[in-house]
Amino acid sequence: MILAPEAVLRRNNVQVSGSGERTILFAHGFGCDQHMWSPVAGQLADRFRVVLFDYVGHGQSDRSGYSPERYGELSGFTRDVVEIGQALDLSNAVFVGHSVSAIIGALATIEAPGMFTDLVMVGPSPRYIDDDGYRGGFSREQIDELLDFLESNHLGWSAAMAPAIMGNAERPELSSRLENSFCNTDPEVARQFARVTFLSDNRADLRAVEVRTLVLQCSSDIIAPVEVGQYVHANLPNSEYRLLKATGHCPHLSAPEEVRDAILEFV
Amino acid sequence: MSSSDPPAGEDFADLFQTAPCGYVSTLPDGSIVTINRTLAQWLGRVPEELVGRPLYDILSLGGRIAFETHLAPLLRMQGHVHEIAIDLLHSSGDRIPMIGNAAEKRDQDGTHRFTRLTLLKAVDRRTYERSLLERRVAAEEEAATVREGILLRDQFIAVLGHDLRNPLAAITAGTGMLRREKALSDTGQTIVGEIGKSLDRAWGLIDDLLDLARGSLGGGFIVQRAADEPLAPVLEHVVSEIRAIAPDREIESPIAFDEAVYCDCGRIAQLASNLLANAVTHGAVDRPIVFEASTPGDRFQLEVANGGEPIPEAALTQLFQPFFRGQARPSLQGLGLGLYISSEIAKAHGGTLEVRSDKAETRFTFTMPRLPVD
Repeated sequence: MILAPEAVLRRNNVQVSGSGERTILFAHGFGCDQHMWSPVAGQLADRFRVVLFDYVGHGQSDRSGYSPERYGELSGFTRDVVEIGQALDLSNAVFVGHSVSAIIGALATIEAPGMFTDLVMVGPSPRYIDDDGYRGGFSREQIDELLDFLESNHLGWSAAMAPAIMGNAERPELSSRLENSFCNTDPEVARQFARVTFLSDNRADLRAVEVRTLVLQCSSDIIAPVEVGQYVHANLPNSEYRLLKATGHCPHLSAPEEVRDAILEFV
Repeated sequence: MSSSDPPAGEDFADLFQTAPCGYVSTLPDGSIVTINRTLAQWLGRVPEELVGRPLYDILSLGGRIAFETHLAPLLRMQGHVHEIAIDLLHSSGDRIPMIGNAAEKRDQDGTHRFTRLTLLKAVDRRTYERSLLERRVAAEEEAATVREGILLRDQFIAVLGHDLRNPLAAITAGTGMLRREKALSDTGQTIVGEIGKSLDRAWGLIDDLLDLARGSLGGGFIVQRAADEPLAPVLEHVVSEIRAIAPDREIESPIAFDEAVYCDCGRIAQLASNLLANAVTHGAVDRPIVFEASTPGDRFQLEVANGGEPIPEAALTQLFQPFFRGQARPSLQGLGLGLYISSEIAKAHGGTLEVRSDKAETRFTFTMPRLPVD
């Protein structure tokens, strides 16, 4: 089924702002929605056309577009990205992806050559589970424990949150928002996205990524440790590696300026 | 005394340390700066050994990732998160389910100074929530199995009903030929007559089965509505048929209309016949059955009433379900599809079929718009 461009933009709650010769598309990772990128995106809107979106089932996307079959693999999320790129007629654009979306971006560059010619991976991991000669940082048992924990957690149970509370202002007044109006993911969707994310193995895909890539690695990230970032860098044909001072898994929130500067220097 | 001074007998430092909930604060980099004695004790430790260590050291693995992927972003964006479920690690390695709130302490200029967490043990609560989740999963699976079973049953019914028609048609044809046999004895004629009645009943059962299967397999009831066939004579024929089957029952049948009704006459006859046959089966033998058809306003209305024991309250709600059978002599029992099919016919005509039952009488009322509504 091919959706009309407007239908894709509506489905993925695509928000376009700013202006510039090039377009930067920001993709959120597991656990939240496009608001994660607001602090960084807001600072780049004077130089770039900035695109934010929610994967289907997340944030303010149209949940009726969700199907467990399509989003049971990363390829379903990649299709979201490619369809958005087609709807906006993107070429020579920059893809900035956090966490699992760094890998989704890599897959999108393979799927749709020319759409994105620069790729920024923030906290990427091609595989979370340790393997022979590879350290992903987690054992299979740990990932099972994690998935089990996520399934029983309240977080993401706020599926009933009213969509109306999400404004479309470029830099919304964060404090005026209702409780947990961010990261408002359908529990079923969150459950499946967690499985897809933490059980995926995309190591073999890295070699097929031809575009220039920047790997942004946080100093202390329990989800994507430094050695995983180095592995990604070593296995990409055309990449730069940068270790951020920022700690944690979400430097775009904890240190938006540092992330912004790294992106600006790269593109 | 300022409002921040502790009231007599209470001591804020002690309250912090030994309150019946856990407190822990971290720096923006996640290292613990303070932790109260209650929480440390729950974790099998003392505060001193935890200060300076990363918060992650006391979180379960799931808790760490939930913290990184959900809590930390939410805290950055909205400053606080309420009612989070998180597992902490006891010094023995056991996980302790907890529930809590978290908030960022920020400077005047918005700089993040500390992250504060207030935690309560939630062992029973988590057990309960888990059992709810398990029940939900089990219920979903059960519902899927039931749906599948119903579909299979309906398909089976459809195939069975359909395939029974061929042998039955052969028997019907054969009985017709036998009836015309001149050499057939009187006994033979009687037997053939009885076989004929049984055949009619068998055909009726099969028609009902096929109606049911069509209705529930998504095909819907086939209703061909038109206003060109007069309905009143059709209903009179239904009454005379039932009179022939039950000659000793008194049936009052005021059929007081001659307007055209936009309906499928065959289906309305089926509905009328079902209601009337029910009244014969379940009504008191010594009380008349009332069969009343009229056209009040722009509607068509058919009412069938009988005396006798009222229908029990519990049965009333199930009456229109398929395969519901009331208390009747086994020989009189059908498949329990009559009222279900009748109510489906009513629906297909944009009408309703309702029942009232008390000591005075049991009355079924079918009403539908008399003319097409756009």
